[in-house]
Amino acid sequence: MITFLLITLIAVFGHSEDFLGTTLLSRPLVLGPLVGWALGDLQQGIIMGGTLELIFMGNIKVGAAIPPDVITGGVLGTAFAILSGKGIAIALALAIPISILAEMLLSGLFVFRSVFNKYFMVYAEEGNYRKVQRLHILSGLLKPLLMGLITFLALQLGSQMMKTFLDAIPHWVNAGLQVAGNMLPALGFALLMNLMFNKRVAPYFFLGFMLAAYLKLPVIAIGGLGLIIALLVTRSRPGENPQENNEEDGSENLKQMLPVKINLTNGDLRRVFTRSLLLEANFNFETWQNTGFAYAMIPVLKKLCTTKESMSRALKRHLQFFNTSPYGSTLILGITAAMEVQNSADPEFDAESINAVKSGLMGPLAGVFDSLFWGTFKVIAAGVGTSLAVKGNISGAILFLIIFNTPHLLLRYKLTFTGYKTGTKFLQNLARSHVMDKLTYGASILGLMVIGAMPATLLSIKTPLIFGTKDSGVALQGILDQIVPGLIPLGLTLLVFYFVRINMKTTYLLLGLLALGFIGSGAHVFA
Amino acid sequence: MIKLTRIDDRLLHGQVAFTWTPALGVDCILVANDKVAGDEFQKMALGLAKPPGAKLLIKPITGAISFLNDPKNTHQKILVIINSIKDARALCEEVSEIRSVNFGGIRNKEGARSISKSVSVTDAEVRLIREMLDKGLELEVRQVPTESRQMLKNLI
Repeated sequence: MITFLLITLIAVFGHSEDFLGTTLLSRPLVLGPLVGWALGDLQQGIIMGGTLELIFMGNIKVGAAIPPDVITGGVLGTAFAILSGKGIAIALALAIPISILAEMLLSGLFVFRSVFNKYFMVYAEEGNYRKVQRLHILSGLLKPLLMGLITFLALQLGSQMMKTFLDAIPHWVNAGLQVAGNMLPALGFALLMNLMFNKRVAPYFFLGFMLAAYLKLPVIAIGGLGLIIALLVTRSRPGENPQENNEEDGSENLKQMLPVKINLTNGDLRRVFTRSLLLEANFNFETWQNTGFAYAMIPVLKKLCTTKESMSRALKRHLQFFNTSPYGSTLILGITAAMEVQNSADPEFDAESINAVKSGLMGPLAGVFDSLFWGTFKVIAAGVGTSLAVKGNISGAILFLIIFNTPHLLLRYKLTFTGYKTGTKFLQNLARSHVMDKLTYGASILGLMVIGAMPATLLSIKTPLIFGTKDSGVALQGILDQIVPGLIPLGLTLLVFYFVRINMKTTYLLLGLLALGFIGSGAHVFA
Repeated sequence: MIKLTRIDDRLLHGQVAFTWTPALGVDCILVANDKVAGDEFQKMALGLAKPPGAKLLIKPITGAISFLNDPKNTHQKILVIINSIKDARALCEEVSEIRSVNFGGIRNKEGARSISKSVSVTDAEVRLIREMLDKGLELEVRQVPTESRQMLKNLI
């Protein structure tokens, strides 16, 4: 009972990620060890978390496309597998269907939350920012509480039944699941490749593979090499980059424009940053992150809006539809804050332009920051993290969080100030200096090298086939290892990638890999 | 060759830059929108989100129509993005190559009802949709390429 409560708390913690800046605390790599610890088997928890992370690696959250709920699936899958004394294969077999079911439930919740939008508008009409804040948080809490309740019920009611059911699974199913489980990460790798792979950067994928397969370099070393190569390849020639001069022009222009009466302090902007961490807490399918945006703007509005009417207008303005990448949200928040300052100082200012800028930027900046963080930082963090975790090393989870969140939080913090001080000029400079081209190019080099290393380090599929008779035969795997180590994992990844490219549905690929695993194991072709 | 015609009220953003562009292997993204084509700030912002390996064109609807009908451009693999059903219909009328339209995201507004997670339509838009369906166009709802497509005719 106590352990069930602990595991429930872990699921609640995972689902609270939307309050904690989408910092990837909810990934299986992090929650797995916690579940293992709660059940007294930390080692198993780490390994299961790492393996689940591999399989769900290509599952990313872009825009409002909601991936399977790996939090509930991962926590319950790991817990049931450890409780029943079964291995990793069972954790996988349970986590996948549970996360798909839980995703449906979450979609329902995101639809339901739209109901609250009326109340938000009523509170905004009253100019009552306190009520807006409170409802944002209360409605946000529904997700962790609901999913926590479901986790608890599943454990309380299901664990005995689950154990009986799992004990009845025949050995051959287990063996098949084992092999299939080893193959499934290929799907994750292929989905990631699909995000970055093009002719121009294709060689870097194979470079990453060779460094891992032949030189046996760990993923972290390949990440470091990738970073150096990306920097060298995208380095600008002297005189090519006039960015710094422009930046000075920009800030001067803006100062002239501003007849400043009230200025926001650094403390105000820091509060905007802190509140931006709750941006996604009340995500809903009607207006998406709107209440999160209003919530983050409230420290600014409190200072600028002296009358009930101006507060009401401002709240309504910021409760409009909004959706962007949480990682770059502070840039838009900063720019909006600067425009609100202008708006309060200049009666001629067109308040409509605030929302025009917001909605003009939210899409493009989501493109920039989602690619950078999901496509590069997450890939490297997960590559390094899982390669340690599958060996049972707890530092995998810790490094994963550090590698992702150091650039994330630093940049997110700094962008609040950049947005406020230089406004949209900063973006115009970015556009003029072609920095973005270089950044995305460099990021895809780095990302692809790390993905290339993954089949060689993280997929263990071998063949027990032997040529000739049992006594004097030659093992096929031995020959392969001498020519191209990791040829089977590479071949499988490329095969899945081909099917992803021709737009086969992920569910079919998942089932196909399961079937291949079972048949391969039954026919003794793969082990 | 037009690989996809997509309605998305945020035009070019994460889902487009990051999932559709590589999945379709496009080398040209055409944003067709009268307002954006005349707005330097918006053009600049969209330029930032341009994925590597593809070029970005921003044209008014009429400009987009003549670009798409120009035989010189048929060798390019094009992703066309518009932000409203009205613009989509205008394009379909004039560009015979477009046989299918992807509904990516249309946010909720006054008088609209939501017909899927990401798409809301008004009654006037439903009429436009019926006209397009009557012309034999395939209308499907999908945010990202790995999702399964829902046919719009079953949703309205």
